Amino acid sequence: MIKRSFFGLVKPKLQYEIIDEAQAEPVSIKTSKQIMLYIDQSVDPSLENAGENAGNVLLKTGDQVKTGQKIAMTDDAADYLLSSQSGQISKISTFVGIMGKNYTSVTIDVDGESSQNVDEGFKNVCQAPSLENAREFLTGLPGQPDFNVFFDSEKPVKAIVVLGVDDDLLSTTNQYFVKNNIIAIKTGVDLLCKITGISNAILIVPQHLEQVAGSSGAVVKTVDSEYPSAHPELIMRHILASEDGESKSKSGIAFFSAEAVCAIGAAYNTGKLFLEKLVTFVSKDGNKQLVSVPIGTPLQDILNEFNETLNDGDRVILGGPMQGISVFSADYPVLPDTDTIIIQDKNQITERSDIACINCGECVRVCPANIQVNQLIRFLEAGQYEEAADQNDLFSCIECGFCSYVCESRIPVFQHIKLAKHTLESMKAAEESNA
Amino acid sequence: MHSTLKLTVSHAPFWHNGSSISSKSRNILLASLLAVIPGCYQYGSAAVGVVTLSIASAILWELLINFISRRPISVGDGNAALIGMMFAMMLPATTPWWAVVTGTFFAVVIGKEIFGGIGANPFNPAVLAMTILMLSWGDLFDFNAALLNYQFDFNSVYPLVLSKSFGAPAVESLPLMDLLQGKQIGGIGSTFGIGLILGGVYLMLRGVIRWEISISFLAGIFAAALCFNILNPELYAGPGFHLLTGYTLIGAFFLATEDSSSPVNFIPMLIYGLLGGALTVLIRNIGTHIDGVLYAILIINLVNPIVDKIRPKALGKGV
Repeated sequence: MIKRSFFGLVKPKLQYEIIDEAQAEPVSIKTSKQIMLYIDQSVDPSLENAGENAGNVLLKTGDQVKTGQKIAMTDDAADYLLSSQSGQISKISTFVGIMGKNYTSVTIDVDGESSQNVDEGFKNVCQAPSLENAREFLTGLPGQPDFNVFFDSEKPVKAIVVLGVDDDLLSTTNQYFVKNNIIAIKTGVDLLCKITGISNAILIVPQHLEQVAGSSGAVVKTVDSEYPSAHPELIMRHILASEDGESKSKSGIAFFSAEAVCAIGAAYNTGKLFLEKLVTFVSKDGNKQLVSVPIGTPLQDILNEFNETLNDGDRVILGGPMQGISVFSADYPVLPDTDTIIIQDKNQITERSDIACINCGECVRVCPANIQVNQLIRFLEAGQYEEAADQNDLFSCIECGFCSYVCESRIPVFQHIKLAKHTLESMKAAEESNA
Repeated sequence: MHSTLKLTVSHAPFWHNGSSISSKSRNILLASLLAVIPGCYQYGSAAVGVVTLSIASAILWELLINFISRRPISVGDGNAALIGMMFAMMLPATTPWWAVVTGTFFAVVIGKEIFGGIGANPFNPAVLAMTILMLSWGDLFDFNAALLNYQFDFNSVYPLVLSKSFGAPAVESLPLMDLLQGKQIGGIGSTFGIGLILGGVYLMLRGVIRWEISISFLAGIFAAALCFNILNPELYAGPGFHLLTGYTLIGAFFLATEDSSSPVNFIPMLIYGLLGGALTVLIRNIGTHIDGVLYAILIINLVNPIVDKIRPKALGKGV
């Protein structure tokens, strides 16, 4: 954990992790006995045949699935994952994640090495790359590429931005792909340009990788090594705004992680879906290790690999230290967007408090979005979310977590902000459905 | 699935820079000792008594309010002790015990707790209490009378009284080096300039107080005093004198920088400080009061919410 420096005159600085020359090669985790996939939706398993709006239920307990097969609960569902192993579905249940988000959890008992079968669905279409079959088959790739932005007719996409930087601290996943696999990124970018018809592709890399990235032939832009400059929102404003005066809103730009672009390129070139996620594993003693792991592998298998034991009160974090989520159990699987896994010991955890804001202003001076957090938090603590949104720039927040990191009163500011946004959004959704 | 392992689950971020209110209070208390210990050395055990009584009674008042209002006990954050210390630093060493206890009551209860506790006070609690006491029992805080029985090896007349009553030539006999070394009478912790400056620099470097406020406060005093001095050198003392006498240094480093009652944005902090400095000199030179620092700080505390509206546009708002 990075503590405040002795001299506090300057703003706190958090440096992004830099992938070094001598970085050890990723460790491969052997195939688990079981994988779990959390699909972003909610179908009540007890109502499998009921729902009027839902399409036909595709999967049920006992079904055999093949490697690379789409795992979606209904045939018209937009969200799906790709099974990284062949096996038999042993359990389907619902799971409520952070901010009340519903997931369907599908547990697959993995078959032995000999009986692994590859699903042919994608192989049949990979000769003719198109946006439609990319959306149909590739959203479940590592890095979770989102093709839906290309289908929004109101906001035509003007540029594709490939993030060769990692959004949160401690992660080196995307840097690893830029450093070691720039050819694959180039292939992937060319392919994306071809299927979308967009010629404007920009590769964002940290400064120390500018040379490597230059060899890809794509337009390369660099970002600072200080958190949160690699945040997509800030990249868009600071780097892309100078290029195109109009592109000041998030619409019109499609973001892809370097990992996803590599996987897309490889998928169309070989017809095989690459379903291993590259994850930075941070153990309790702070050691960092890149791990290549099949999507859906439960965390416990990775912990076993590193001989890491969990005790009561420890914290398991999926994602970086600033924006990640902590989970209730080590059975949680690695998902396509999991870049980092952090294990914190009980005594490394700083407790939050409910002491009032003392108005020291650290958060205001550190906020990359120039929000008056000291005013905002007073409204949020009182539950006056609408005032917070109207008068105190709630929705300008880019969710970097810096305010909570520096708070002297140790108020969970970021949590208040997320809760306020979530509450307002669900109120709005409720109003719209009633109208 | 049914493991009994209980993991800690909380919201991001999972790191914290380790700062806390208690460490902040501790740092300010430590820095203030640089000025308080020489003060106690100068005024003897009476001063030690005032300082300890002030801190102790401030903590007890807060504890009492915690019990009455049935809120969690908050004396652990050190803020009450800090208020007690700040208040004692301004007092003359001969202040009677009842005045100290009354003063900390005004500071902690009226100045802070009735507004809702830490972070909610519109005025600096210690300054508010001190002005209430000065207006109520003015005689107690006439430093010349209060410290009459002390024998010093320097001119033991309160410097600001000299300049107020006899004009600039009267204070020419006070070398600035002597003033800096604390060879002047005044509050227990407000005369030893070297200690206050060292403490202030330490706090600014550590980021405990906002340097913008302290520096601009001193700059405001310097600029305003210089203007007066240039206009009428016979009547108004120079900026050096104003910087080193009365409550100027404690005001700049310890009082004006109080978190809750000062602005947080860059330009407002500068305005806040400059305004405080200029007001101080105005009150000293043409007002009726002898020292203007406390009144100036109360006034800028009032202005704080308005000047803090000068702020950069949030991301995505406006052009």
